[in-house]
Amino acid sequence: MNLNFTSPFFLFGLLGISIPILIHLLTRRQQKHIRFSAVYLLFQSQKRSIKKSNPNRLLLLFLRCLGIALFSLALANPFFSLGDSEAFRNDSPASYVFILDDSFSMRSQVEEKTLFESATQFLSKLLTQIPEGSEFSLVLASNPARIDQDWMAQKGSFVKLTQSLQPSFQTTDMGRALEKAATLLKSSSNKEKNLIVLTDLDKNGWDKEVFSEIDNLPTVPLKVFDFSTLSVKNNLISVESVQSQQEFLARSRILKITTKVTNHSQARQRVPVSLILDKKTKKETLVDIQGGQTISKEFSIPLRNEDTILGEIKAGNDVLPIDDRRFFSHLPNQNIKVLVVDGDPGTISHQSESFYLERALNPFSVSVSHIDPTVSTLAELPLRQLSDFSVVILANVREFPIDYELELENYVLRGGALIFGMGDQVNPKYYNEKLGNLLPVTFEAVKNFDKTHLLFKSTEHPVMRAFSAKAIEEMKEIPFHSFFTIQARDKKKFKVANWFTNENPAVIETDSGKGKIILFLSSLDRQWNDFPIQPTFLPWIQRWTQYATRGLENVSHQDLLVGETFQQNIDRPDANWAVQTPGGNIHLALEEKGMIKFNKTQLPGIYTLFELPHESTQETLNKLPMGSQPIGTFTINVDTKESSPRKISEEDINTLLPDIKITINKPEPSAYKAASTEGMLLATPLLLLVAGILLLEGWMIRRE
Amino acid sequence: MENTSKNYDPQVLARISSLKVTAMNLVDGLLTGQHRSRHKGSSVEFAEYKDYSPGDEIRHIDWKVAGKTDKYHVKQFEQSTNLKCTILLDASGSMAYQSPFEKSESKMDYACNLVAALSYLFLKQFDAVGLTLFNDHVVEHIPPRSKASHLQHILHGLSTLTPKGETQIENVLGGLTERLQGRSMLILISDFLTRDQDIHKSLKLLRSRGLEVILFHVLHPDELNLPFEGDTVFESLEDDPMVGLDPMDIREEYQKAIQEQIEHMKKISNGLGVDYVLMDTSTPLQQALSYYLLKRKSFIKV
Repeated sequence: MNLNFTSPFFLFGLLGISIPILIHLLTRRQQKHIRFSAVYLLFQSQKRSIKKSNPNRLLLLFLRCLGIALFSLALANPFFSLGDSEAFRNDSPASYVFILDDSFSMRSQVEEKTLFESATQFLSKLLTQIPEGSEFSLVLASNPARIDQDWMAQKGSFVKLTQSLQPSFQTTDMGRALEKAATLLKSSSNKEKNLIVLTDLDKNGWDKEVFSEIDNLPTVPLKVFDFSTLSVKNNLISVESVQSQQEFLARSRILKITTKVTNHSQARQRVPVSLILDKKTKKETLVDIQGGQTISKEFSIPLRNEDTILGEIKAGNDVLPIDDRRFFSHLPNQNIKVLVVDGDPGTISHQSESFYLERALNPFSVSVSHIDPTVSTLAELPLRQLSDFSVVILANVREFPIDYELELENYVLRGGALIFGMGDQVNPKYYNEKLGNLLPVTFEAVKNFDKTHLLFKSTEHPVMRAFSAKAIEEMKEIPFHSFFTIQARDKKKFKVANWFTNENPAVIETDSGKGKIILFLSSLDRQWNDFPIQPTFLPWIQRWTQYATRGLENVSHQDLLVGETFQQNIDRPDANWAVQTPGGNIHLALEEKGMIKFNKTQLPGIYTLFELPHESTQETLNKLPMGSQPIGTFTINVDTKESSPRKISEEDINTLLPDIKITINKPEPSAYKAASTEGMLLATPLLLLVAGILLLEGWMIRRE
Repeated sequence: MENTSKNYDPQVLARISSLKVTAMNLVDGLLTGQHRSRHKGSSVEFAEYKDYSPGDEIRHIDWKVAGKTDKYHVKQFEQSTNLKCTILLDASGSMAYQSPFEKSESKMDYACNLVAALSYLFLKQFDAVGLTLFNDHVVEHIPPRSKASHLQHILHGLSTLTPKGETQIENVLGGLTERLQGRSMLILISDFLTRDQDIHKSLKLLRSRGLEVILFHVLHPDELNLPFEGDTVFESLEDDPMVGLDPMDIREEYQKAIQEQIEHMKKISNGLGVDYVLMDTSTPLQQALSYYLLKRKSFIKV
């Protein structure tokens, strides 16, 4: 139980009680003593008289004192609470650590003001309450939690600092923020220490695991001001994800954009979902989302050129607009340059592997499949620059030139993809001995069957997803006569992508370095099967080629969250790179061990990576130098874990912080007068009492 | 010894002379020859001649003068009655009341002047006058004498008077009735501020013994009006306990009570044929006394 005063200065008004007392005493001193003759008559008269003013005088004095006392108390704005409110109780200087939640959930709008603005204004008002000589520090609670201001005693500077703050686009990390606060509190020499948290109590910010990892938690009572109580409306909608996928097998190129939208409310919502490209709404549709559900919505747009698609998905319009939109970028598939090495070129073209592969990879024109095959014989192979190709298909190759396996290893490590096709030319002994670093398996022998078929245990493999059930059925009918049996090498990992019906692997894949190796254990020509003449061979080999190049994914495939570091493998370590942020700033991206790293990703939006024509000495550029080449784009979006309007309860906080006393208060205008949720403001009742006393006094005086 | 020392107290002496001067001024200036006793005494003293008119007693015609002047003159005599007047003066504490605001004479001073004036008047007419001072008992008794020098005794008695104690008129009157001779005069001077208002019986007894009684009810205007303001603690001049109050609250009641008392006294007096004179100390004594004597003279003539 606690009584606090937000303007304790007015308590000096209590001294005013002395005024009526003094007047009373002074008039009492003036009380005349008269020696009188007819005192017995006075007695008689007094008994007969109704008026008895003496007790009234005392009552009046009491009422006047009470009136003055209550008026002073009312001005001091007392606040009565059942809970303890330690903060601002003492007038002696103390240490105050403020933890300010600057996560993006604090961007919720309440009456044209964000919760964060309300919080900083409230903090400024709190500071006016704090006795002079106190010291303050500020911890920002968005991930990563950090000490924004170490101890300082200048209240004015601290107020300016808080007013200049802006909310971030990060999630909350209250655990780490409390850890930082505990460090600050330990470093303070003041006896009186206060810890005040200004937050919206978003549940996401209070991670159990984070708390369990922290040893250094504060020990002083925690006073929480819950700003979510200011908000009448909750966050309703968030766009969880956006994925773009190019349907590259269709005759006309189509970009499919799939977005997931969550309804955080309990009620059904009808939400407009818009696809915005180049800041223009291209498509808009209304979707109904049940309470608490996430739905998936797909947009399809034709791809007309090779330019990167930059856009965003916007859904609904609620109090927290930042998570109602999500950015994406899509770089249409570039031509994949494929080197097809034919290990058994025949005099009749259709007897060569390259015949089927070349036609399968590029049946019509480059513009449709975006695969650009180059056929090479084994003899020509050393003359080829492997780094010019994304994928190398080694079809029925007996042996490689001397030490060429090392070049292949290096190629794969740097991100190249190898697709091996078997055949009668393949020397398993050579493969087992020389390609040990590339292949996760050893070849045993060629097995011949009358007929075996491909077995599709699951269609979940990315390559197979595009195939319809009918196509799969057709593929199951394809007869295979021969294939290599294999044995796994020790400590090598690989996945079996397809099986034969006789439980032997048909396709295996493995990652090596940044590249990918795919092994088709039958032939890629008609030597061991009829697959190359089936209609499904074409999409099958194209998709495997596409799949293999994932190791060389383009930049735009990276969809990152705010604060995450953008990383990109590069081929040219001597080049210079810069990133243009959505805000228009241009920062140098540093290269480290063949990888560009960029961590100034605090703003959601679309970032563009440029290759600079020359080295720059400045970390931040005003404008792009002439000759800068855009390399690609990547998007940064907010983490929608923070979007959920679920609040952490006081009990849950007590569970996380069992050793300290926690009070949660509303940040009402009167709360900086020490208001709290379980408290009561007494100014108004006191003023009413004063009015009542004045009326009573007036009535008594009139009666006299 | 005490008495002796008082005799030489310069204040007492000054007071005596002051009283004497006041009394003489009062009486000589206004009342000479105007007072006449209604009682006939044994000694007759020639006063003046008067032309005879039918109805006058023939035996009062001075034949010697008629023989000399051939005119009938009638001898007129001052009727000396051997009147014995006892003045009873209330010497209780309440008589000491004096206004706290203005330096006026106290009720007792006023009463003393009255006593002195009356005594002087009586003595000048060769009547015997005595003085009895009382509160709840007789404090001092000066028996009536007609010697001119007796005035000094009375004045001395007044001068050494210190008002104190409660008023108990009934007791005192009861005791005096025995001592007083019939057909004498009793002048009772008091404020009659006593809880015991039943002096009716005592007065009736006195009247039945043929005594002429005159009541001088001496009151201060403060006692009539209670003009005080503000919180006041009233301390009793007698033995009543203190009372603190705002006079404004009870003024009306008080005035009513005091008027009731006055009316009561008047009623008793009228019923018993007693002269009742209310004397407000704000009224100059000379004026009040002359008014009373004129009224009395007219009454006698009637």
